[in-house]
Amino acid sequence: MIGPILQWVNTLMFFYYLACNLVYLRLLVAAIKASVLQNRRQKTAWLDRVRRSPLTPPISLLVPAHNEERSIVESVRSLLRLDYPDFELIVTNDGSTDGTLLQLIEHFQLTQSDYLYLPQIETKPVRGVYLSRTERRLIVLDKESDGSKSDAINAAMNLASKPYVCVVDADSMLERDGLLRIMAPVVNDPDRVVAAGGIVRVINGSQVKNGSVGAVRLPWGFLEMMQVQEYLRAFLIGREGWNAFNMLLIISGAFGVFRTDLCKQLGGFRRGAIGEDLDLVVRMHRHLREQEQKYRVHFVADPVCWTEVPSTFKSLGNQRARWHNGLAECLWHNRRMLFNSRYGRIGWVAIPYMWFFELVAPVFELLGWMSILVAAFLGLLSERFFIQFLLFGYVFSTLISIGSVLIEEMTYRRYENWRDLARLICFCFLEHFPYRQIHSVWRLRGIWQYLEGHHAWTKIERVGLGESARPSAAGI
Amino acid sequence: MPSVSKLLGLIGPAGLIVQALLASLAAVVGLLIFILLRRGARHVYFWRRDRRVLETRADWNAIVAGTIPPKEWVLSRMRREIVEGILLDRLEVAPPKEAQELLECVRFSGLLDTRVHEARTWRGWRRHKALLALGRMRVPEAIPALTEGLDDAEEECRIAATRGLGRMGLPRAAVPILQRLSTGKLQVPSSVLLDALINNCRPTPGLVLTFLLKSADSAKPLLARVLGEIATPDLDEDLLLLASDESSEVRASAARALACAKPGLAVSILTGLVDDEEWFVRLRAVVALGELEDPRTIPVLLHGLCDRNRQVRIRSACGLSRLKNHLEDIICLALKTQDAYAVQELISELERSGGIFEMVTALGDSRRRAKAEAALLAALRGGCRRILLDLVLHHENWRTRGALARLLGHSGDSELLKIMELFDSPGLPVRKRRVLRWLERQLAPTQASLSQAVRVVA
Repeated sequence: MIGPILQWVNTLMFFYYLACNLVYLRLLVAAIKASVLQNRRQKTAWLDRVRRSPLTPPISLLVPAHNEERSIVESVRSLLRLDYPDFELIVTNDGSTDGTLLQLIEHFQLTQSDYLYLPQIETKPVRGVYLSRTERRLIVLDKESDGSKSDAINAAMNLASKPYVCVVDADSMLERDGLLRIMAPVVNDPDRVVAAGGIVRVINGSQVKNGSVGAVRLPWGFLEMMQVQEYLRAFLIGREGWNAFNMLLIISGAFGVFRTDLCKQLGGFRRGAIGEDLDLVVRMHRHLREQEQKYRVHFVADPVCWTEVPSTFKSLGNQRARWHNGLAECLWHNRRMLFNSRYGRIGWVAIPYMWFFELVAPVFELLGWMSILVAAFLGLLSERFFIQFLLFGYVFSTLISIGSVLIEEMTYRRYENWRDLARLICFCFLEHFPYRQIHSVWRLRGIWQYLEGHHAWTKIERVGLGESARPSAAGI
Repeated sequence: MPSVSKLLGLIGPAGLIVQALLASLAAVVGLLIFILLRRGARHVYFWRRDRRVLETRADWNAIVAGTIPPKEWVLSRMRREIVEGILLDRLEVAPPKEAQELLECVRFSGLLDTRVHEARTWRGWRRHKALLALGRMRVPEAIPALTEGLDDAEEECRIAATRGLGRMGLPRAAVPILQRLSTGKLQVPSSVLLDALINNCRPTPGLVLTFLLKSADSAKPLLARVLGEIATPDLDEDLLLLASDESSEVRASAARALACAKPGLAVSILTGLVDDEEWFVRLRAVVALGELEDPRTIPVLLHGLCDRNRQVRIRSACGLSRLKNHLEDIICLALKTQDAYAVQELISELERSGGIFEMVTALGDSRRRAKAEAALLAALRGGCRRILLDLVLHHENWRTRGALARLLGHSGDSELLKIMELFDSPGLPVRKRRVLRWLERQLAPTQASLSQAVRVVA
């Protein structure tokens, strides 16, 4: 009885794994092609043109902050130094229980004001709007916390007066020309491009000086290195690959530009959504496809947003569980799009990929390991085939990771040091055991949290972006 | 019973896995070798290149003057690329005299002819590269080759040719673009076209107008947008015509053009556009009115301040806040509209743009004090309370703080008392708390009578 069941499970696993790897391979090929083309274009598209053009639209930078007293001042300073002709910066203090607001008041000479706040998108009550006496472009919004980042962004969006909003995490750091670069596709095709996302890179290990990244180096911690590898793969292969097919479903919440009117039309970021970035982009696709409009959601790998990644298992696990929880919640909320021809390739390819190769992947993985164990226990396991299969999995995953290093080398080359390159390559071989298995457990926990209805905005522990607060940078 | 894996092995997956494993392994090794070799090769290349760059920079004056014959560096590909790169970079920033010398060098060295030849004979990325270089040279001789690039089958090349022509800054270079655009034959992103046409047609905006009047409907908004950036006062009658065009995009661009050209008729034409049915035309009209910074625009901008669209209200407020000498009148007139949103939008804009802060600072200046006091009292009636109370406590100049406290104390605005509680935190220094107490005493006894007076004034 158990034999046929195992056979059925193993066949299912085999074809699942085959399909999964074929998709990864296709994405890798598309990403390499797109990256090389993009890199050539970047060489010839003068940023100065975007900077000086009267057609470059103004932007509202939205920065949600919740208990960010360690890094908020440095982040705001860094954002105010951005090279862009016209932007305003709206920081939302989302019910922080630490000194986030006080830090801002003190460092930017904020004054409480009667600034008109029209809640076009419903949010938790706003306690006050603060304007800076020294920096006209800065507006700080103090509101009660809803426990979600969406609410904080929506409150800021209600104040946004520019045609585009750019959402930036308070604990992240944009490169000085990041806005110019991310807006290049918008300036080139303002009628069709409704959203654009930049690349998020790991700042741990690099030197931070005066609110900007100095020498780019790799971190020393194992967990942080794993994340460098993951981010490279996710952005340079995943995002770039999906972007090549105009099926991009995620624009990172840490750095993304959206058309303000469209966001407001959609009711902003969905309240209570944990993966608010994914959710907004999916709803954009849904809305625009329903309206039968021609549009494009763009990924640009050049504008870099540096972010500090968790350095402990606990906080990384919490983060990953929250991401997976958000994915589950978003996909379930938009379940009508699955295999729905009304949504074209999004409904037939991108959303099913998210369901089957992202959301339920840890379940399949668990099922796979269980079937192997049961087969071994019953003596039904062919050791030779098992080892071959395991080896193939290992080598193929390594190939994909090395593919991301290849793209990095052929295009952006942020890690110029030979030692960094060697370490990047080494970690392509190291991440498959036991990190990947632990990662699956975190993702399973995310699914479990979703089923339990856990929706809180959990914070990850950070060291902070200030120079003195970065022991890892000092170690190099 | 045979194992499931053995069954799979019999039907093929095992063989497939072995082949896939070997292929993946080969790919991994191949990629690693490629990455390492590439980095090594680049390292060597840039090391050699840097050395050559240093040599070239040392000989730079001789190369530009022609003392070192071009044949000595043109024949080496690396050297030629270095010289061309430095030349083109210098051309971007060089003063006219130096630019002339550099252009002479481009001509006599054969770099220009080489690039023209490449742009005409090559295809794909090599043509793209040649077109870009020609564009950066900014020499009229390159116009025919760049014009041919406009008809290339590849979009990248068409973009490069359009940008190249755009960098000339010559009306002559705009003509081929305009000809193709008006007949719908040029397919490149609109921003590239706009940039190119704006740059080339700035000296002669009439050229755009000529094509605009005879072009197809699809090209009209784009050409009108170009005109919006380069219009001159002598085009006033034509702009009047465009302001009544059927296309809303053209009307919006006409508003933009009026702000740019500032002809005598601007205010009256824009006044008409403020009542347009399309919100973005009204928006462009109020933005243009704001840019005129003319007191005659106050009634129209106040009308815009009460618009049903929030963007129009925001931009109207922005325009009004620029008229710094008339702020008192503007706030009083806004209060008379009895549109609470409009008043609050205006006050918000004054707060955001630093207008309120400037008025408060002006209290310390005896010449500007009277006007500032009147404007601040009007702003107070409009609901600008928190920021004023905050400035009473936190303005860096103690004289200004005192003047503002006296002004608020005598304003009789009872609403201030309610907000004062928010500022009276336990951490507030004693001196500041004393200021609040003083303000309370000033406002409390006369509350009834003065609020009546405020109502009368309002």
